[in-house]
Amino acid sequence: MTKPVLEIINVSKEFVNERNKSEVTYAVQGVSFTISPGEVFGLVGESGSGKTTIARCAFGITPATSGQIKIFGEDISSLSSAQRKKSRKRLGFVFQDPVASLNPRMSIFEVISEGLIGSPLSKNEIRSRVEYLIEKVGLTKEHLTRRRHELSGGQCQRVAIARALASEPELILLDEPTSSLDLSVQAQILNLLEDLRKELNLSYLIISHNLEVIAHISDRMAVMSQGVVVEAGTTAQIMTNPQHEFTKTLIGAYETSSKSDLPEGFDWENWQSAPTNRWAYQHVSEFITTQNISPAKTPTPLNAKMSHDPRLDQEEELLESLYTDALLVMNRGVLVDERYYGDMKPQSVHLLQSVSKSLLGVLYGTLIEKNVIDPSRTVENYLPEMLSSGYATATVQNLLDMTAAVDFSEDYDDPNSEISQLDRASGWRISSSANDLGIRKFLTTVKQNGVHGEQFQYCSANTDLLAWIVESVLGKSYSEILSEFIWQPVGASQSANVTVDHAGHALANGGISTTGRDLALFGQEILDTYLGKSSRLVSHAWAKSTFGGADPAIKSVDYLQAMHPGGSYHNQWWVTKSSHQEIYAVGIYGQYIWIDPTTETVIVKFSTLPSALSAKYSAEHIALFRKISNLFS
Amino acid sequence: MSNVLDIKGLKVDFVIKGKKISSPIRGIDLSINAGETHGIVGETGCGKSLTALAIMGMLPANAVRTGSISLGATGDLTSSNIRQIRGNSISMIFQNPHSAFNPVFTIEQQLLYVAKAKGFSSEESHALFPERLKQVGLVEIQRILKSYPHELSGGMLQRCMIAMALLSRPKLLIADEPTTALDATIGGQVLALLKRLQREQGFAMLFISHDVTAVSRVSERIAVLYAGKIVEDGATADVLGDPQHPYTKGLLGAIPSRNKARGTLAAIPGTVPSNTLGLIGCAFKSRCQLAVPHCDEEPILSSHGHTSVACWEVSK
Repeated sequence: MTKPVLEIINVSKEFVNERNKSEVTYAVQGVSFTISPGEVFGLVGESGSGKTTIARCAFGITPATSGQIKIFGEDISSLSSAQRKKSRKRLGFVFQDPVASLNPRMSIFEVISEGLIGSPLSKNEIRSRVEYLIEKVGLTKEHLTRRRHELSGGQCQRVAIARALASEPELILLDEPTSSLDLSVQAQILNLLEDLRKELNLSYLIISHNLEVIAHISDRMAVMSQGVVVEAGTTAQIMTNPQHEFTKTLIGAYETSSKSDLPEGFDWENWQSAPTNRWAYQHVSEFITTQNISPAKTPTPLNAKMSHDPRLDQEEELLESLYTDALLVMNRGVLVDERYYGDMKPQSVHLLQSVSKSLLGVLYGTLIEKNVIDPSRTVENYLPEMLSSGYATATVQNLLDMTAAVDFSEDYDDPNSEISQLDRASGWRISSSANDLGIRKFLTTVKQNGVHGEQFQYCSANTDLLAWIVESVLGKSYSEILSEFIWQPVGASQSANVTVDHAGHALANGGISTTGRDLALFGQEILDTYLGKSSRLVSHAWAKSTFGGADPAIKSVDYLQAMHPGGSYHNQWWVTKSSHQEIYAVGIYGQYIWIDPTTETVIVKFSTLPSALSAKYSAEHIALFRKISNLFS
Repeated sequence: MSNVLDIKGLKVDFVIKGKKISSPIRGIDLSINAGETHGIVGETGCGKSLTALAIMGMLPANAVRTGSISLGATGDLTSSNIRQIRGNSISMIFQNPHSAFNPVFTIEQQLLYVAKAKGFSSEESHALFPERLKQVGLVEIQRILKSYPHELSGGMLQRCMIAMALLSRPKLLIADEPTTALDATIGGQVLALLKRLQREQGFAMLFISHDVTAVSRVSERIAVLYAGKIVEDGATADVLGDPQHPYTKGLLGAIPSRNKARGTLAAIPGTVPSNTLGLIGCAFKSRCQLAVPHCDEEPILSSHGHTSVACWEVSK
């Protein structure tokens, strides 16, 4: 095997502040690599990663603090200065700024021939060698009489390459050789370097912050970050199968995509529906701004063993047909069955849609019991900004029970409905114009269309208004409030998040994403509260009232009565009033927390159904949940 | 959809003592729709940044501008109304965040200065800044406000500059090489940020860069500029996926990529003409493999296939 032209073995370089000796900068730490004859070795990394420092050490420009450097097989620290000078003739240098690296007062002939000073060549031989070199780099003899200001940047870099070649080097250091050049000129220079390498059997050590350049020209490469090599190998290996996180990030930064990093076919108007929702519901924070809902410092242990109840295996086909992403079943406080589909994992968060509302319902339970909020007070009492809106005289309890009488269409498929406008105001869809409404401004525009408190009317904006009220009463963001009053006390083990509009206000009606396990824990807590076993969030009295349903005097609606005769919506939960007395939280496209106090069962289901609302899917889900609960009765 | 910006027949000449010494912009037509990003790519000296400066009314004193630039309902931008528009309806962010800030004032002082010019009271400003800086993804707002530019990283400063440019909620944001001075990973974050803010606030963006990859990541449409003229203009996917003009083809072929086999890049021979004065016909003809005698006549940007192309040979 041929001897490597350059060997770098465990080299470190420290810079000590001369004024304060204790202040040491570790520019490069423990770097090793070798370059074989005829090979191109690339060093890539961002500013300050130590690329140039290690190259300067390797070429003997800067002494290394520790480690061994061998050039053409000889340790440079063992060389005498004469030997070092001799070995330096076999090295060439090309730097980043071609204009700055040429002496402005010298003609191009003088610049190139300077590399031949001290050579045994005669004057004529030097002239013919310089003429040979200038043609080698694609310029002509006429350029030799010019000075650098008469050449373009690309031509200057060609001259710098000719100069580097003058002493017939075997190894050339190219430090960002194309960084200050235009694209089309960069391509010319890269082609020239490649041609010269083949013809003259050169080896290159090339440094660049531009991954594409390194990937194009080098055989092997090393990725540097903060003074260390984080990954090294053949270029093909690293580019196709990067291992280190930093390399992946770096490669990702060069991915061409026409928009941001959204999957193909992602459409801002339709991401909530199939087929995009499969991906989108687990990645909301990647395309909408979110705020974190911090988990508990000491999470409540959930006896999660990824167990499968064989009786549920028989429902696999049904679960698939119901576009299930995750199903978790808790019975008597034990997680008895847990299954995930597609890309969903126990650690993945999934969008809750309107299940988010039920979290707010419990938050209000807590705050009302702490006397922070009075449910009988009206909106205008809490928010002077809402004085002239249709909500002004509705009470907090009206909002909680969805009995505010407002002009609000929940038609998810109509792009002009109020719910679609709210989506736009909250950043869930692209705003049609430059007006930046925001959630709060939108809420002030909602109009009254009847008497508050008389009739149930499901209206998502009510929940956002309730979130605004708590934010203003507590002077904190909704995400902080949820964390403090729900997520931490319940012992959630992972951060949840909630989408916010451009002003940082949360979309409380549907913007929360959580893991299945944490949501199951939350459901279990509500069940335990109702059963009198726990009161970490709310009291037994709140649970009893919620499970009992809303005031029967409130007019209900047909679809609710068809599904749950005698049922109602109370404290942001759906109440069935069936023989099992279940309550549940539901979000469009199939998100559920189902709580059955009779069999002591809690079911969490995440799905991405093809349609937002469908009587057929709702009925199938409820039948499935009842079937599962009955397995444990 | 209505156009936010309409540029028609824009020309910029540099004049010294009454004598025209160069004409860096030689007739540009460009429209940008509301909420849309139009990218401009081109090499050094092709007139990218001068186009931006012409829109902003910030051309050097010896530059003479002809042609019209109009902003939506406001109408033509002239030297008399540009002061009301600049920084209000149109804002700009620049390449080097370190040189765009004054090194001897804190970020807060510089934001206040801008806010005051836009008519915010000092009280309003202090209430506004934390929210706006949060929006651009900054944390530790109070520390940042009290910092001098040298105490912040390039990425943080660029975020501050974006917040500053968006203070007045402009209709059009001009971004002139906003990621060029940043490391690749930070540059990617800034692109994602601009895209998010655009979605939230709905402003249109003119995104200028020599970096085709960066432009392609944010723009719905791309115009390719060569020697002061647009040679190709169209939807990003069309211009990049099926380029028509020989210069566009050459430029895309010149990008090294791990997806292309190592070896010779399709470099364009020659260099960009440094002065287009006295140039006859197509400015690209001396570097063009398709050049024919017809090219001595100035080609006109006309629709061909999906994009508009200024080339006789392609559109014949």
